[in-house]
Parts: sequence; structure tokens; C-alpha cells
Amino acid sequence: MIYLDNAATTAPVKEALERAEKFYAENYFNPSAQYAEAVNVRREIERAREFFTELFPEFSLLFTSGGTEADNQAIFSFARRGNAVTTMGEHPAVENCFKKCKDFGVEPRFARVEKDGSVTEEELLSLVDEKTSLVSVVHVNSETGAVNDINALAKAVKRKNPRCKFHSDGVQAFGKIPVRLGKEIDLYSVSAHKIGGIKGTGALLFRKGTLPQSYLFGGGQEGNLRSGTENVLGILCFFYAAQELKDLKVRAEKFLKLRELLFSSLDPEIFTRISTEAGSPYILTVSARGMRGEVLQRMLDLNGVIVGTGSACSSKHPHSRILKACGYPEDVLDGVLRMSFFPEITEKEILTAADALNACAREWKEKL
Amino acid sequence: MERVIIIRYSEIHLKGKNRGFFERIFMVNLERAMRGIRHELHRTSGRYLLAGYPEELEEEIMSRLKRVFGIHSYSRGLVVGNSLDEIYAAAKLFAPQDGTFKVDTHRADKKYPMTSMELSAAIGGRLLHDFPSLKVDVHTPEHTVYLDIRENGTALVFGSYEKGAGGMPVGTSGKGLLLISGGIDSPVAGYMMAKRGMGVKLLHFHSYPYTNDGAKEKVKTLSKILSGYSLSESLITVNVAHIQEEIHKTCAKELNVTLLRRFMFRIAEIVAKETCANCLITGESLGQVASQTIEGITSSNAVVTLPVLRPLIGFDKDEIIELSKKIGSYETSIQPFEDCCTVFLPDFPAIKPNLRFVEEEENKLPVKELIEEALKSKEEFKL
Repeated sequence: MIYLDNAATTAPVKEALERAEKFYAENYFNPSAQYAEAVNVRREIERAREFFTELFPEFSLLFTSGGTEADNQAIFSFARRGNAVTTMGEHPAVENCFKKCKDFGVEPRFARVEKDGSVTEEELLSLVDEKTSLVSVVHVNSETGAVNDINALAKAVKRKNPRCKFHSDGVQAFGKIPVRLGKEIDLYSVSAHKIGGIKGTGALLFRKGTLPQSYLFGGGQEGNLRSGTENVLGILCFFYAAQELKDLKVRAEKFLKLRELLFSSLDPEIFTRISTEAGSPYILTVSARGMRGEVLQRMLDLNGVIVGTGSACSSKHPHSRILKACGYPEDVLDGVLRMSFFPEITEKEILTAADALNACAREWKEKL
Repeated sequence: MERVIIIRYSEIHLKGKNRGFFERIFMVNLERAMRGIRHELHRTSGRYLLAGYPEELEEEIMSRLKRVFGIHSYSRGLVVGNSLDEIYAAAKLFAPQDGTFKVDTHRADKKYPMTSMELSAAIGGRLLHDFPSLKVDVHTPEHTVYLDIRENGTALVFGSYEKGAGGMPVGTSGKGLLLISGGIDSPVAGYMMAKRGMGVKLLHFHSYPYTNDGAKEKVKTLSKILSGYSLSESLITVNVAHIQEEIHKTCAKELNVTLLRRFMFRIAEIVAKETCANCLITGESLGQVASQTIEGITSSNAVVTLPVLRPLIGFDKDEIIELSKKIGSYETSIQPFEDCCTVFLPDFPAIKPNLRFVEEEENKLPVKELIEEALKSKEEFKL
């Protein structure tokens, strides 16, 4: 099986999971307890926290149940008055929080995106005014791989309104492309299971002094920002998996080559490219024009290749919301396939996958 | 004093000399409905008594009984000795605190020292004494306390009748094979036939990879809901993707659905014979979609010899939806998984397919081979 849907989730890094499981099995104590054994668990969680905050020295970090919770906490903490601005290229975890803001009297504003799914400074700024309380822009678009220059965008936004906060959903960026958070960025969401951790863990990075609100009350864990006994196994697996990620730059370059290899091996008569070359090296989105991505996905599955799609064969949500916002016509939207890589893939596997993609699409053409 | 549920059956008493057959099957169905719950089931004349069950499961039992066809009505009640004091102690539990009421006595034991009227009056009198704000109204009472004096020295006391599902016990009217899609109509059609006592077997056509496993799961869920009534035990699925491809490639576009249905009917007939079903059942409703016009129905009907029952033929969509809500299948039916991929849907399907044209187009295909191949994909899932 060749797995090319790593933007949806990744296989856990074996060593990381084993280490975390071993620690967890031996140290099952409640991290909030006072005996030495429990303190040991607490210390390991703090080691994890330090590992991440050392990457971003100006930030503090709170562990959450995943990217969605991190997005929710960031948005509801700071989109509290006036209006809040985001883009039409966001993950539903951000999009739906903004829609919900309306219930609290905050006006959500959605910036139009370019053909590749990114947002321009001009478009974003046109929606920001003195009443804006929060701006949220996805770092790497989950469907097109488009990378927003969040530092530049944040800088521009703060020039126009220095009081508003800037959040970015970094779920598809963190651990994949080199991430630098400039001083205009206030909040950044990350997720474990997109980089070899396990599901159910994520984190919200917040600039020191920009304290999010708590939405879970109880025992006061996570600095009283998120009560509930810590997900020790998940946090440690996240930590250990992240430790395995070295030389992101080298890795990104390698995947860039593989991504281009995959695209150049696809039949140009059939596949149109949607993700751009400037996008994330880990995501290649194409469209088999006039075919149904979802059906191709299942044909590929039968041939041992797993890919993602931009849509589901459903009358209610026929097409990807994000790609629709990018302005693609219907027959392109029908045939969207997303191939995403992590953490390792060989050239040979890429070529096999390309062959399968070509073969299935040709089979389709023959049959229908 | 023991808690019991009194179950009365509906049409079985009409059945004269076949009554034993109906009653036996009804009893088996009741036992099946009670599967997994400790209980005793006694048959008395004209009714069944369910006793010895854990009290905390009474609600669950009541909701299961609601789905058993053949039940006219059922009541929660108490079995007591037939002395006046014991009967009164139970009657008090079912009596209202205020409002109007009457006591309704039925006396199977004709040797009982009091007549029905006397007993009603005696119990009613005591209730009036204990609950001063009660009033008797024998014509239109708000509440009724029922007494049933049995021949074995016991009495049944209960307070209300719950309406049962009606119909006839499943299994008393042969077997049919239901063509079940993921839509609203077919589970309702299965329900209707089960209500008339038909054992319902289930057959679903999918076209993986053009349709997804979500659609199949949805049909499994619908089958489970339906089997609560129809006692179906398994779901058979057949993949018709290749047939669809061949039709799409070879035949006139507007006949896509018409031709596919003919294939489905042929396959269904084969499966029906294998599973000893005496007929096919479909959820067709006249004119609802292009393939359900009388011409469309004629064209698919022409390829089978078994009778095809279409219990919804004269129903409006609204009426079908209402029934599906009642059955509990509606919420599942409207989940957005399609049982037919849009790639195969013609822009303008033939509304009045001409049988000769249909046959001409179909003759371009190796019908027998395609059917044999499709049957190889047959799977069966236990429900």
C-alpha cells in the first residue's frame, strides 16, 4: 500500500509511539498528584512543552485535544468585539468558529482567495479596520498547499490596526516546512497527528502576554487555561515525534523534488495541476477533468494507492468549499485529487503511484 | 402481585381453522422480539401474558413490542389473586387521583361470585371513598381501570391500552425479496409488506467504486431498522458497477436507468429463487421518478416472472416520508450518501421508454454473462 493522504493524517512515528507507550505504561500517575512518581510525569510533560517553546522562544504553549480545539480557543478568546477577519481558504475548524462569532455579536469577514488558495495582502487589508479584533489566516492551505506569508500579512495587518490579534492555523505547516513566527503573530495552532504523533493532541502557541481564555474549567491544568487531566500519551508522542523531525529545509527540498517527479509523471492529457509550484512541498493537488475524484480515489484504493479528494459524491456538498472559492469550474472541481506526503516516500513509490493514477484515469476513460 | 404485560393479537381470530398456524408463528415472533431479555410468555385464550421479566427493562420491552406485527394492543398490568381486597390493592395503583373514571370488568370465570357490574361497582365505590376528588363517568371517562377475572383464580388489573403495530405476524404470508436502496421509499415498502405478515429478505445493489462504502453502511443501518419489524436476518449485496459501465458505453444514454433496472430485476429474481422468496418487493411509487412511470414499470416488469409487489404505488412522497419517520428510518435515509453515482445519470432520462427500443438496445449487451459476473460479487451480511 502506498499512502498519499498524509495531509489528512500520518502514520505514527514508530520509535516515538514506542517511547511514549513505554513511558506511559510505567508512569501512569496523575501528573497533578504530589508524590515523586507523579512529579516525574509532570516533568516529562514540561520537557515536551519546553521542546516546543524553545523553537518559538517568544511563545508559551498549551496542549489541546488537537488543531480544532486550538483554533477554537484562539478565535473565541480574541474575536470578542467589532469584526473578525479570515479567508475563504480556511479549514472548517476556523471557518465555522468565525461563523459562530456572529452569535456573540462579532461580524465575521471572509477575504477572497487567489486561484491557488492564498490570500493577498491587499484583499485582507481591505477587510481590516479599526474595529477588527482578530485576523486569522491559514499558514498552509490544506487543500491546495498554498503557503501564505503570514509574517508579512501580520505585519501589514498590525500596521493598519495595531490592537487586533493575529492567529494562524499552522496544522499543515508545523513540522513540515520551516516555520518562523514573526513578532506580529500572536497565536499559532498545531496538531500532532499530521507529523507522526497520535490523534487527540495538538497545541496552541500564544505570544507571552497574550493570554487566551479558558473554555474548560476544572482542576486548573495547563496553567488554568485548559482543565482536564493531561493526555500524557498523546503529548509525549507528539514530543518524541517532533524530536525526530530534523533538517526541515533539506526534507522540504527533497519532497519538492518528489512532488515535481509525481506531477511530471502524470499524464498531462488527463491531469491539470491545481496546487502551484510555490506551494507546500508536501501537497500536490490535481484535477482529472471531467471525472469524479471520489470514484478515482476508490479505484486507486483497489490498486493499493491511497489518495485524498477535494470532495465527496454527495448532492448536498458536491464540491470542496475552498476550491470553489478559488474559482475553479465545476468539471475541474469534480475530479480533484490530493496527494500528500510524509514522513518518507521513495522515488519508486512515487512512480508506482503515478502509474496507478494514470492507469485508473485511463481505465475510466475507456469504460465511460 | 406480579407485573405483567398483556398482549392481544389483531387479525388472527379471523383465521378459523388456520388459527393454530398463525398463533404459533406469532408466539415465535414474540419470543424473537424478546431475545436477550429474561421472560416467560404464557398463552391464554385470546391473549398472551408476558411475565417474569426484569422490571427495569419494562420500557425496552414496551418499545420492542411496538414493532411486532400482529399485536392489536398491549397493556402493562398486574396479576393478583381474585379476592376483592387483592383486586382493589392493584386497582388503586392504576386509579387516577382526580378527574372522571370508570371500572370496566370482564369476567371469563363465570363462577365468580360477583357479576361484572357488581364487581365494577364495588371497586369503583372503594376508589371513590379513598380518592374523594374522583368522579364516576361511565360514558366518557378520562380514565378507566380494567379488571379481567380469569378462570384460574387470578385477576388481571390494568389501566390503559397501548396500540400495537397491527397487521399480521411476520412469516404468515410467505416471503418476499425487497430491493432496498439507501433512499426513503424502499424501507417503507418492506415495512408495509412485513405488516401484512410477509417475511422480508433484503437485496441491495451498489456500484463500488462509483459509490462508496458509506452508502453501503447506510443500507446496513436501514436494514437493521427495518428488521426490527420484518425480522430480516441478513442483507445481500450485489455489485452492478460493471453492468452500469457497459450500459453507459454501449446503449442509448436516456435508457441508462431503464436498462439497469431490468438487470436488477433479473438478478433479484435469481436471488429470490435462491432464498426461497415468492415475490419481489420494490418501493416504486407511480410517476415519482422517470423510471417509475407505467412505461418504466412495464419495461422492468417484463423481464421477470415472479410477482412484483409495489406497496407504495399509490402513495405520495409526503405520505411515504411520514411513514418512514414513524418507522424510524427517515433520519438514516436522508444521509447524503448516494446509491448511484451521478456519472451514470443521463441528463434526460426516458420517461416513457418504448419496450421494443429498450429490448433493441439491451440486445447489444451480453446480458447473461453480465448477470453471471455480477452475481459473483454477491455478499451477505448478518444483521
